[in-house]
Order: sequence, then structure tokens, then C-alpha cells
Amino acid sequence: MDFIVSFTFYAENSENDGARFQDFLLAMEATIRDHPLWASASEEEIDCAVEGLEKYVMTKLFSRTFGSSPEDARIDREISEKVLLLQNFLRPEHLDIPAVFNNEASWLNDLFPPQLAEKELLKINAFRAPREKLVCILNCCRVINNLLLNASISEDRANPPKLHSNLKFIQLYRRQAKLVSEAAYYFTNLVSVKTFIIDLDAKSLSIGEAEFQESMQAARLARKRTGIELSHASDEIAASAFPPIRMPNDVKLADSLLTMDEMAALGGLTDAKPSTSGSNYPYMEVEPGELTVRDVEKLLTLYKDVVKKYTNLCEAVKRSSLSPSKKLRDVCDVECVEAVSTYEASRLRRYLIYMAIS
Amino acid sequence: MARAAGNRNIQAKLVLLGDMGTGKTSLVLRFVKGQFYDYQESTIGAAFFTQVLSLNEATIKFDIWDTAGQERYHSLAPMYYRGAAAAVVVYDITSKESFQRAKKWVLEIQRQGNPNVIMVLVANKADLDTKRDVGNEEGEQYAKENGLLFFETSAKTAQNVNELFYEIAKRVAKAVPLRPGGMKLHRRSQERGRRLFCCSGSSPFGSDDCNINSW
Repeated sequence: MDFIVSFTFYAENSENDGARFQDFLLAMEATIRDHPLWASASEEEIDCAVEGLEKYVMTKLFSRTFGSSPEDARIDREISEKVLLLQNFLRPEHLDIPAVFNNEASWLNDLFPPQLAEKELLKINAFRAPREKLVCILNCCRVINNLLLNASISEDRANPPKLHSNLKFIQLYRRQAKLVSEAAYYFTNLVSVKTFIIDLDAKSLSIGEAEFQESMQAARLARKRTGIELSHASDEIAASAFPPIRMPNDVKLADSLLTMDEMAALGGLTDAKPSTSGSNYPYMEVEPGELTVRDVEKLLTLYKDVVKKYTNLCEAVKRSSLSPSKKLRDVCDVECVEAVSTYEASRLRRYLIYMAIS
Repeated sequence: MARAAGNRNIQAKLVLLGDMGTGKTSLVLRFVKGQFYDYQESTIGAAFFTQVLSLNEATIKFDIWDTAGQERYHSLAPMYYRGAAAAVVVYDITSKESFQRAKKWVLEIQRQGNPNVIMVLVANKADLDTKRDVGNEEGEQYAKENGLLFFETSAKTAQNVNELFYEIAKRVAKAVPLRPGGMKLHRRSQERGRRLFCCSGSSPFGSDDCNINSW
């Protein structure tokens, strides 16, 4: 088709591409209506023809039009990473979700398998046509609406990869006449969830700034320990994102030593890198004369870090009055408790998606 | 019947705004389903309903966008009221605070919403007259000064609920110009709707789709 070929003549720009495609669809629809071959066609048949055209063209143009700019890829990654972190500590009350939704034992769970909603949403990347992507959103929201005012939304994983790119793609390339009413409503909900996540800060969850930063840091650490690269976040990864629960007996002494720094960080630090490098303590070798006023802020931050680490470590050690190795094991015990509660908290990721789409 | 010529189908987006607990969802449920629950759950995010009202002059299909009243979701509101043909701002007559919040919503819509939007101020929970904290005249006066429709309603007793939506439907029908019957939804008719109802501001979706159209 000439139209598809003509696309390659223009520089890549999603807004222009979108506008050109919308014009093309409208022009084609008008042509179809005026064409003698379609003179006796019903409204429905014409609609089908245009739908088919949208699907055909967009499938051909997919690699150019979907999430193709580095900017889009960056936003996708940022959202995905933020959601993965939030999943570690977000609770329903942070979003004003009433306790009743927390009732796992609800009989409704049997009626509507709750994983259904997430499955629908995750399908979104399997489709290349705007209409089909939008249908995924609709199905997901419909399932949740069926669950609405009742049970829990259950199992995790509702961290659709490439959320931003998918929404942008639908917005630009779905026939404008079709992005109305119920479809527009559900679409808006997901756009608003995206915005909410991007802008999400301590205030959005009605918690203190310090608590928010600490929770995010702890989540980062919990994820780091699983050895998973955040930047390659995907649904599979989200599924396996639970920190492994290590039993104290299995932990060797050397491991324990390494994890103590991380343990302290779980108590809430800024940036916990392995302490072996000088990067965490850049002032160790510095003479007083070399310091400038600008260093004061950094020094203060470092000082606070050190105090926090020290306090956390003392607390952990205090719990044990036995041998040094036992002390270290206790540190690991604390770590295990953390890991377990992180696991518990991660089930709450569902509420994030629930918040906006129900 | 000679009504055919004037019998048009109009689709109109209606958005509900107001503080949490003022009864937005209860009003919709009363209107759409004729139901009322004493302990209606808080709306999380938002919820969607449709209802068709048949008038002599036209059939109005309402797309009703219910929103969450919590402050934390406030910044998302423009996405929801964008392109609305009607905005219903609800307060609770037993809460002065909710009335103040309603005034803020009115201001926001006046500043940022579609200039042709049909705006209604609704004083809900009229059944709780003994606990009243906002006088009827107070609401009515404010509505008059700001060119809003005003209704005092009770989702619980159904007082004025249908009247409220019928009045909005009439206004919507009046706002959409008559055109020859039987005309199909086409590019041109859409554009006509656009000129009538769409806000000119930038939209989060890149296009100003209009939510009042013939169908």
C-alpha cells in the first residue's frame, strides 16, 4: 500500500505519524462510503472495513510506531521500575482502599478468578493493532468492574511492561471515533494510573517523606539482592521478584558479613553500595584544608548514614548475647523477617492497578 | 407520529465531582438503578455508568463518569472532566467543608473546563435536614451568582434525583442544534459537535475528542 510506503518518506515523529494516520483513516472511510462497490453496504460493514484497515496498516507500521523513541523507552522503564519498588511496600490504606477489599476469603474469588484481570492486561504486548490493545484494557477493566465493590484483586504481576508506550500508541493510532464512551473511560483510567505512578511521592500516599524514601530504598535493596536487573523489568521478572527467603543456618559467615551493610540499609539509608569502595565514604582521605562549604551538606548526609547504620547494627547485635557467629546469625534472622514481610507486602501490588481501574 | 423529525439521539458525557462522602455514587446509582445503600463504599479511582433518557425533543444517552472525592486523586481530575457536556458538583448539606470544596470545583471547571459545559450544583443528603449545616438559600445564592443550575437532592429518598438528570438532558438537547433526521454519524457532524462543546486547552491525549455526539 502506498500509504505504508509513504510513511518512510517522513522523519519519525509519533505525533505527526498519528495525525497522518487519523487523516488517512477518515479519508479512506469517506472513499469507501462514496464507492459504488460499497453502495449497498450497511453501517456495520463499513465499520468493519475501516477496522480491518486500521489493523492491517498498523501491523505493518508497528516497528516504526510503537515505543520507538528512546524517550518512550525511558518512560516505560521508569514506570516499570517504580511499580516494582512500590509493590514492595504499598498498602491499600495508602490509596484509601477500604479494608473490605482486603478480604481474601471472599466467595467472590471463586466466582471470578481474580488473576483474570491481570492476565487480560498483560496480553496487551501480544497485540500489534490499536483496537486489540484497547480491547485488552477494556477486558481487564471489565473483569475488575465485575469484581468491583466486592473482593480482592489478588495475585500480583499487574505491572504491564511498556505501559506508557501502549497508551501512547492507542491514543495516537486508534480511530478517534472509537475512542469514546466506555472505551475512553477505561482508557482514561489507565492514563490516570500512569500519571499517578509517575508523579507518585510521599504525599500521594499520605506518608512522611522520610518513610517514603526509606521504603523505596529498602525495596531497591530487596530487589538488588535477588540479583535481578531492574532495567530489564518484565512480567516474568515481576513474578519472580520475591526476595528468596534464606534460612539463617544456610548462611555462611562470609555472606553474613557482606549483608550486614545491606541490613543496615534496610533500616533506611540513602544509597547502599558495598562499603568496600571509597565511593560511600569519599572524605576518608581528605585533609581539613581541602574541604569547602559545599561539602558540608554531603558530610552531614554521610554522618547521618553512619549513625543510622551504627544504630541499626547495635540494635541487631543487642538481640543476641551469645557468640559472635550467633550474633551474625541473628542479624540474618532480622533479614529473614524483612524478607518475609516484603513477600507479604508484594501481594499488595495489585492495589496499585486496582486503584485506578476499578 | 410527527415526532420522528425531531427525534435525535445525543450522546453526552456527564462527570460527577465533589468531596468524598457527599453521595456522588449514590446519586448515580439512584438514577441508573433506582437503588440506595446506606453504606456505599468509597469510590476508588472512578466508575462508569450509562443511562438513556427519552425526551420529546431527543433521546439522550448519558455516559456518566463518577470520580473519587479523595484529595490525593485531585490532580487526575482534568482527565476525567475533559470533554464533558455536563459537570455535576455535589456537596453534602450537613458539611460546610464539602460546600467549600464544591466551590473550588466550580472555580476549577470555570477556569479549565469546557466553556460550554452545563454545570450543576447539587446539595445532597436533603433527608438529613436536622443536621443541616449549609442553608438552602446559601447554595442557591451561590449557584445563581455563578450561573449554575441548582438542585437540592436526596439519593436516599430519591428526592429531585430524576429531576436533576432530566433538567440536564433538556439543556443538552437544547445545546445540540437540530439537524435533518436520519443523518448518519459522519465526519462533518462530529466536527460540528466539536465546535460546540470541546475545550480548547491542551489535552493529555493529544486530541480534543468530544463526548457529545449524535449516534
